[in-house]
Amino acid sequence: MNDASIAPGTREFQIRLFGGFRQFRPESMLALELDDASTVADLRKHIARVFDDDANALSLLKASAFATDTRVLDEDETVPADADLALLPPVCGG
Amino acid sequence: MRDRIHVATTDQPLDTAAALEFCSAPGHGAADLFIGRVRDINQGKSVLGVSYDLHETLCRNVFRELAEETAARWGSEIRLWLVHRHGRLDVGEASVVAAASSRHRDEAFKACRHLVEEMKHRAPIWKQEHYTDGDSEWVQGHALCSHG
Repeated sequence: MNDASIAPGTREFQIRLFGGFRQFRPESMLALELDDASTVADLRKHIARVFDDDANALSLLKASAFATDTRVLDEDETVPADADLALLPPVCGG
Repeated sequence: MRDRIHVATTDQPLDTAAALEFCSAPGHGAADLFIGRVRDINQGKSVLGVSYDLHETLCRNVFRELAEETAARWGSEIRLWLVHRHGRLDVGEASVVAAASSRHRDEAFKACRHLVEEMKHRAPIWKQEHYTDGDSEWVQGHALCSHG
């Protein structure tokens, strides 16, 4: 991360992609710049703009959750500053 | 409680004998073992194999949470094993092994089933099926989110 290139009051986030999202981004990672106070709902809107031209990705995003390494995040909470973030489509282990 | 719980993810073949060895104790008269395997047909399509993707750290945390919940419900003496494989598996290979042992069969059956059912709904695991016609598809699953 190059802090000099990030606007004041914002942070850069990297979000790992799993499952069906891998077909939309073979590198399985998204990098975004968000306001410090952004909520998970804001993050979702931001990613929707990234996938704006792909109805399948948008549909999957709508059904997906955001998580850290330890828990699934609530929609209205502030995006944790130092956590590793992941975008989790609907799950189907077993 | 933690020494009576074993949870893991691995890219290696699953070891059912190790699961049963772990899920045993002199006072345990029952042990239940579940093996989930890749099957050759899903929704009418002929399957060659399945690639399992998972979030390793969160998956182990969720497995631990599920096992501790299960032990709290069916008794702290219960012994529990839950291991899921990732990577590409062929038809017939085991994708998950769950086991439970307890004093009597009722708790072992119920605890083992609870572990498996909750794992399917809550653990961050995904599967991409590969078909004999050359196509591949990510399998639809259970949403972890509850937003509108």
